[in-house]
Amino acid sequence: MSEINTRGSTSGGTDFKSVPIAFRLNGRPVSACIDGGLRALDLLREGFGLTGVKEGCGRGECGACTILLDGRPVNACLLLAAKLEGCEVLTIEGMASPDGTLHPLQAAFLKAGAVQCGFCTPGMVLAAKSLLDARPNPNEEEIARALSGNFCRCTGYTKIIKAVHLAAEEMRR
Amino acid sequence: MTAPFRTIGQPVSKIDGVELVTGRARYTADLQFPGTLQAVARRAGFAAGLLHRLDVEEARRSPGVVLVLTPADLPGPNLIGILPPFDQPLLAGPEIRHEGDSLALVVAETQDQAEAAASLIVAEIEPFPPLLDPEEAMRPEARKIHPNGNLTFAKQLLKGDVEAGFSLAEVIVEDTYRTSVQDHAYLEPEAVLAVPESDGRLTVYASCQSPFHLRGHIAANTGLPASRVKVVQPFVGGSFGGKDDAVTEMGSLAGAAALKLGRPVRIVHSRRDSFLGSHARHAAIIHLKTGALRDGTIVARQAEILLDGGAYASESPFVVMKALIHVAGPYKIPHLRVDCRAVYTNKRQAGAMRGFGVPQVTFASESQIDALARELSFDPWELRRRNALTVGEANATGQVFQESVGLIQTLELVKVEGEWPACWEKAHAGSNPRFKRGVGLAAMMQGISNGAEGVDVVGASVQVSQDGSVLVGLGLTELGQGSRTAMAQIAAEILGVRLEKISVRQVDTDTVHDSGPTVASRTTTVGGKAVWMAAQAVRTSLLEMAGLMFKAPAEAIELGEDLAYLRENQEAQIPLAQVATAAYWTGFPLMNLAFSRAPDAQYDHETHQGQIYIAYNYGAHLMEVEVDTWTGKVRVLRHLASHDVGKVINPLGVEGQVEGAALMGLGFAHLEEVLQENGKVRNANFADYQIPSFAERLPTRFLAVEEATPNGPFGAKGIGEPPLAGTAAAFANAVSDALGISFTRLPITPQRILEALEG
Ligand code: FES
Ligand code: FES
Repeated sequence: MSEINTRGSTSGGTDFKSVPIAFRLNGRPVSACIDGGLRALDLLREGFGLTGVKEGCGRGECGACTILLDGRPVNACLLLAAKLEGCEVLTIEGMASPDGTLHPLQAAFLKAGAVQCGFCTPGMVLAAKSLLDARPNPNEEEIARALSGNFCRCTGYTKIIKAVHLAAEEMRR
Repeated sequence: MTAPFRTIGQPVSKIDGVELVTGRARYTADLQFPGTLQAVARRAGFAAGLLHRLDVEEARRSPGVVLVLTPADLPGPNLIGILPPFDQPLLAGPEIRHEGDSLALVVAETQDQAEAAASLIVAEIEPFPPLLDPEEAMRPEARKIHPNGNLTFAKQLLKGDVEAGFSLAEVIVEDTYRTSVQDHAYLEPEAVLAVPESDGRLTVYASCQSPFHLRGHIAANTGLPASRVKVVQPFVGGSFGGKDDAVTEMGSLAGAAALKLGRPVRIVHSRRDSFLGSHARHAAIIHLKTGALRDGTIVARQAEILLDGGAYASESPFVVMKALIHVAGPYKIPHLRVDCRAVYTNKRQAGAMRGFGVPQVTFASESQIDALARELSFDPWELRRRNALTVGEANATGQVFQESVGLIQTLELVKVEGEWPACWEKAHAGSNPRFKRGVGLAAMMQGISNGAEGVDVVGASVQVSQDGSVLVGLGLTELGQGSRTAMAQIAAEILGVRLEKISVRQVDTDTVHDSGPTVASRTTTVGGKAVWMAAQAVRTSLLEMAGLMFKAPAEAIELGEDLAYLRENQEAQIPLAQVATAAYWTGFPLMNLAFSRAPDAQYDHETHQGQIYIAYNYGAHLMEVEVDTWTGKVRVLRHLASHDVGKVINPLGVEGQVEGAALMGLGFAHLEEVLQENGKVRNANFADYQIPSFAERLPTRFLAVEEATPNGPFGAKGIGEPPLAGTAAAFANAVSDALGISFTRLPITPQRILEALEG
């Protein structure tokens, strides 16, 4: 059980309000005692060490903090950690198989050159997974629309679309 | 090496890619050390003024606060900058020069506590009317922002006799062009983490671009000898020139606090902090005049360039140099006079940003080439072709290259692939009153590496282990651009090992030679050359050892696919691991530290005539757009980007650089502008400052030209920056062509299009 109260630390804060929560994280049941005002982003990064969840803006504008909540993409920077209660949460750390085999989306991002600095990548890959789980054969416009909440400053986006197409093909096999 | 290459020129996935797609890659803000404190700077909040009193007492007593750092607590000079004399204080006062000036650093147990305490600091500031207009700042009666006045740096370029040139001209065009402030907007905000070590040294992990630059400033400002400071660069989430000065400030402050407290101190910028407290692209005012003969020969050009440098000098001197040299464009113009100045204003400071002055002047130059074509009733492609630089012709600085000038090939490629001029005829054939089409061209060049900006040295190490695996170290940094992969390819090619056997480690100032900044598209060219040299030295050991083992001369042996084999009898093979093990036991060196030094720039400092850059990247762009005259929205229908890159090391990496730079160029030309009202940034977030999203993605097609330079590994020249300028200029010309209106100011936003249409 992790005890997390406020941003930037796992100890030493004041105004400690303890709320117990339990949810499934990357396929495993977890629980934590948290401050009611804590963001899901901070719980995942600091409480569970899942630093693949990135903070690019903290205002719901860039998509770097995207996680899947019961399969739907949400911005963890705008979400209260308390809302994770009872949910199935997926972060980038849970995408590959336990034996380390990359998810087809991860492999396709690499192959297509859709990764440069990689800071947007976890959010992009998760948003794309949510799309492909619902629509196994999306067209270019559908991909662009599904990922439109995610910014990338490095790639120019075309290679990301290509990667999603590649992965979709692979997953339909 | 004998062609064909095994890995050079092949599309290769990033060698550090698995870490990036699995979330294992740790960026600075992801690092955890026990007892880490969080720090936040209190900013001035006024663009100009005098700080009369700073009261930090309440902040000190605030919960969780362990330290409030004020100027009096800093052991060093409290100054940073790029060129001495440095002019930017870490903590400002009494003079306030821009809204984002830091006044004090609050260090607390948690981020929330640090932020809460920072807001409790009382700063009594007597505000001055801020100087915001660079032209106004240049007036003699203007208030002095720095003791020596408001001129940061000025340079002149003189070639031929510009008056004589203009007297020959049969046609003269003249205009003033303006560009706006562009933010780097890398997705990872700036971050540092300073860790005091038990041996009295200080380690600073930093999301930075130039670790040695940081080390020097951190040492000076914390009072430690530079040898006691180690700067480590973890994964960096984009930089584009931006993670130099701001991170230097943060690293120095965090370092000072960490040493004082004996605990790790972290500073992570919020997006707002990044907009207020980092450096952006210089806004420019460019007055440009070009004279030509009726047959299209350009005979003279004159330019006055004014760059808005904001509150501190930072990289302004070097941006001045680059704008100065590039405003002539990729043309042979016999008579030139260019005056380029950077000035201080009470605005967010400007510094290095991808393109470094070249996008601004390329926009002005290429817009004027189109204006000249109209004036002459000349085909704009023909006009560019007629004046294009070639091998053996003198460029703006009088430098003549005997090789690697591929401009005309790029022009020919976009002409053929773009079906110019038929595409232009077609675009204008329709008569849709709402949707107007246009085609824009641009030609450009960009000097590679430091050139006139300073000595150009890079250190690299290559180490082969007994198992045949290879460790490469380089003094320049991976910022997402794929330099690790390119360096691995170079080492793999020379040592004959497979790419999987190569690791390229992160930069750590303890382990490589000071290599200067990672700027100016120099990593592949000068950095790659250093890796090439180090690998060649180790290759010699391997060949000599294999020679002993084969009882054959070293020249008879080749390396490849993790094997040493005889050229004449390729069945005779020894695994490279065995050769490396034998070399170790025989006493051949398996590691080399190389030091590559580009030929020094040699030029006249008054006229800027001489040998300045080791090579240039040349490019030509063609863009077709459709403008919705009801909404001002622009759709890019086609974009061809051709560049002479010398040699493509990794097609996948080069395409990625071109596509990314192109989209940033579209942002510069169409969407992005840091709005400052009364000296305060009005759009310090991604909702109000619009970077291109999926909806704006470009249909960029890259067309490679490979005119090898002897100064790069396998002939390669950098490509990280040039497409930005080409795209922006082609966009402006395409929109102007579609509407028959000359846009002289960037960005050409939908709003500005509508205003122009209303006349
Ligand atoms: S960090 Fe959550 S959307 Fe940007
Ligand atoms: S790869 Fe850098 S932000 Fe997308």
